[in-house]
Amino acid sequence: MTQTDPRMAELRDIVAEVLELEPEELTETGDFAEDYQADSLRAIEILARIDKKFKIEIPQSELPQLSNLKAVYDAVVRHSAGQA
Amino acid sequence: MSGVVITGWSTTSPAGVGRAALADRLATAATGDAPPVGATATVPAGSAWPVEPPPAAPVDVTELSDEPLPTPTGHALVDFDVRAHLGRKGTSFYDRATALAVVTCGDALRDAAVEVDDTNRSRLGVVLGTSLGSFRSTSDYTRETLVQDKPYLVNPVLFPNTVMNCAAGQAAIRYGLRGINATVATGPLAFLDALRYGTNAISRGYVDAMLVGAVEEFSPHRAWTTWLTGRPGRATPTGEAAAVFLLTRADQPGWAGPRREAEVLALATGYGPGGGAAADQALAGCVTRAVRRAGVDPAEVTCVLTGETDPDDTDEFGPACAALGHVPARMRVSRLFGRCDAAAGGLALATFLASEPPEPAPKLALLTGRSPDGGTAAAIVRGWPGAGASDR
Amino acid sequence: MNRVVVTGLGPVSSIGIGVSAFTDGLREGRSGISPISSFDASGFPRRNAGEVPGFRPGTLLRRIEAARWGRSGQFAAAAARLALADSGLDPATVAADRAGVVVGTTSGESVVVEAVTAQQVEAGFGAMDPELLGQVPAGRLAHAVSTELELAGESLTLATACSASNYAIGYAYDTLVTGEADVMFAGGADSVCRWAHAGFYRLGALTADACSPFDRDRSGILTGEGGAILMLETLDHARARGARIYAEVLGYGLNCDANHPVAPDRASIAACMRAAHRNASIKPEDVDYVCAHGTGTPANDSVEAQAIFDVFGDRVPPVSSIKSMIGHTMGAASGFGAIAGTLAIAHGFLPPTINWANPDPALAGLDPVPNTAREANVRVVQNNGFAFGGNNAIVLIGAVE
Repeated sequence: MTQTDPRMAELRDIVAEVLELEPEELTETGDFAEDYQADSLRAIEILARIDKKFKIEIPQSELPQLSNLKAVYDAVVRHSAGQA
Repeated sequence: MSGVVITGWSTTSPAGVGRAALADRLATAATGDAPPVGATATVPAGSAWPVEPPPAAPVDVTELSDEPLPTPTGHALVDFDVRAHLGRKGTSFYDRATALAVVTCGDALRDAAVEVDDTNRSRLGVVLGTSLGSFRSTSDYTRETLVQDKPYLVNPVLFPNTVMNCAAGQAAIRYGLRGINATVATGPLAFLDALRYGTNAISRGYVDAMLVGAVEEFSPHRAWTTWLTGRPGRATPTGEAAAVFLLTRADQPGWAGPRREAEVLALATGYGPGGGAAADQALAGCVTRAVRRAGVDPAEVTCVLTGETDPDDTDEFGPACAALGHVPARMRVSRLFGRCDAAAGGLALATFLASEPPEPAPKLALLTGRSPDGGTAAAIVRGWPGAGASDR
Repeated sequence: MNRVVVTGLGPVSSIGIGVSAFTDGLREGRSGISPISSFDASGFPRRNAGEVPGFRPGTLLRRIEAARWGRSGQFAAAAARLALADSGLDPATVAADRAGVVVGTTSGESVVVEAVTAQQVEAGFGAMDPELLGQVPAGRLAHAVSTELELAGESLTLATACSASNYAIGYAYDTLVTGEADVMFAGGADSVCRWAHAGFYRLGALTADACSPFDRDRSGILTGEGGAILMLETLDHARARGARIYAEVLGYGLNCDANHPVAPDRASIAACMRAAHRNASIKPEDVDYVCAHGTGTPANDSVEAQAIFDVFGDRVPPVSSIKSMIGHTMGAASGFGAIAGTLAIAHGFLPPTINWANPDPALAGLDPVPNTAREANVRVVQNNGFAFGGNNAIVLIGAVE
């Protein structure tokens, strides 16, 4: 459940900081580019912070799919599956 | 004569943001104690003007650095908060130099009463002076490549901050300025070089108006540089500031500001290879050329605004007086604001324009700059200091 | 108003040092890319760059002591020394304060900044070497040239990133047009460094081993370095001394995107081209060759080509990128472009875009002069330079009429 996984809150903080938002302004399905004026640099930085925080490397090739918080969370879940 | 005028300006310095803050600080410095709010210092008519204030005490700057500093004090605007001026959006990843510059550019536009819109944005540009951009941003970026597990796990959003044109580019983005956008990186000469670059851009007709300024941030990198390269134990404290002026043609379009604060009469630059006597000669030559191009009587130069930092330093004042043939008042902005490198010249010009003269009349100032390697520059500016600002 | 001509060329590049070697490199379509040796690149997935391993400052510099100046300043001074020698000018015949220099750069003395940063990491800020700190200021790039050639005129470093050489050439041109100087050295210099390599990699803008601008499968830049200085003088001054004249600087245009720190802007670049044409008093149909910014990133080459289509309509001149050969030399890039464009006019050939294999259907109609230099009568060259911060700068160079 995304609501109970503490990683969701941490991801929300990471994304909000990079996109220059308050965490509560960021919805799970709000589009980074359309709704929050994010560019590709910011998206890359989100991946870098995830790498540092969770030690999870999400390939940059997946960037086009990572358009909202829910998609980023799903990618973290997917890429951490084999690591634990 | 260049035919270029200044229609407004701003500074951000330890005095705060804007011309009123600077004027207040000068008034305090001149009397040696805090005057009532709104009061201005005056000097008796007939005495040398402006009177150079005594050195100001630096402030505690330890909260600006996670790293140990060589000395706990400096001349910084410690409580500067870019968000208080510009909000959060677009500013979170500014470095300090960029934040100081962008805030000051905005205040200078406001002071000159310039409204940027689609009819004028391509005719309005920016040129800023610096020593090497943000030393902290570039050095920290390199540091990340050295200390991270993977050397490439650097923040892409911060990459543009490592490039020296970051502040000028961000100012253009913030205010929509599509004219010439340039950055000059000549350290202690940078403001005068920016003034010359901006004046040229206007007089050659590439733009109608330019924001011309310079910026230097306080950082542990600059503090340690000052400490390690200055005189042992006697280095002038590290300062930070941004100073920005709105320049336009004397016969400029109306949108470039209704007032005339000053005229940039002439600029000259030179080089004395190896410094020393060759640079003395180069600087004297710059002063002579600037006076000639300005078409003024050197005896009418009221004051020399120098970038000198050490108490017994006359590297600029000496050659300047020799070229002028007399000894005007000297103003060393470093006494109030520490070592501000690229921003020193801009702070000096602002200090001249913010000082209250004994009688309301135009004054001629000579600005000088000199770099350790032998670079030299001089400018002649006619200003209406203090209440100043006549209509054009 | 004076006319301004190019009479000396000083390239210090990965495909050749000196005008003759550089010309041969352009004609042969030589690649200057090699494994990085100037820093430890072992932790990076990409490990190639356009370094100048053959640079021996001691053999080129006569006056300045290399050890007292950073690598970028050494590049600038050596390039200026070569340009002076190429021009045949006897410096004693020029009043020292009528000769100056303008050097463009992206990262200034980046190698020095990295050295003092390594000292910080190793032993704290107090361990930084004061001698190296004295070499950090970017203004020393121009000062290195002034000191090397004993010039008493203007000594200006312009830090407008990857279009900085065009800014420098433009500003030097103005000082000659207005009669403030008789001779100016203008161009740029930069050095390969860790931080730029890391930053471009992180942006996804760094390719592996071959930069292929305008190719369908282009995948980024390779960082490069060097010094590129042109000696400019007024036409009257050049004629009075019987100089060999390569070409004339016709004018330049600058503008700013004021939009995004990194992403190029098609409309703004097109506006810059039009401003440059206007200032140089030429029309698009006069341009015989565009020496492109052509970094090899998907975004730059696409935006640059579209802007060229916008301005040139159905008559698009050949457009090639020498970055395919020397990599992206940052602040020196448009200086090398100006030298290549000058040589194109002087010797009648178009430098190629090497590593080119597949046409990009999105850029149909673009002739990148693929892989092999081509003989051509070149009268007017448009030299493009774009940069972070939206700093666009375009210089027009023409045959002397």
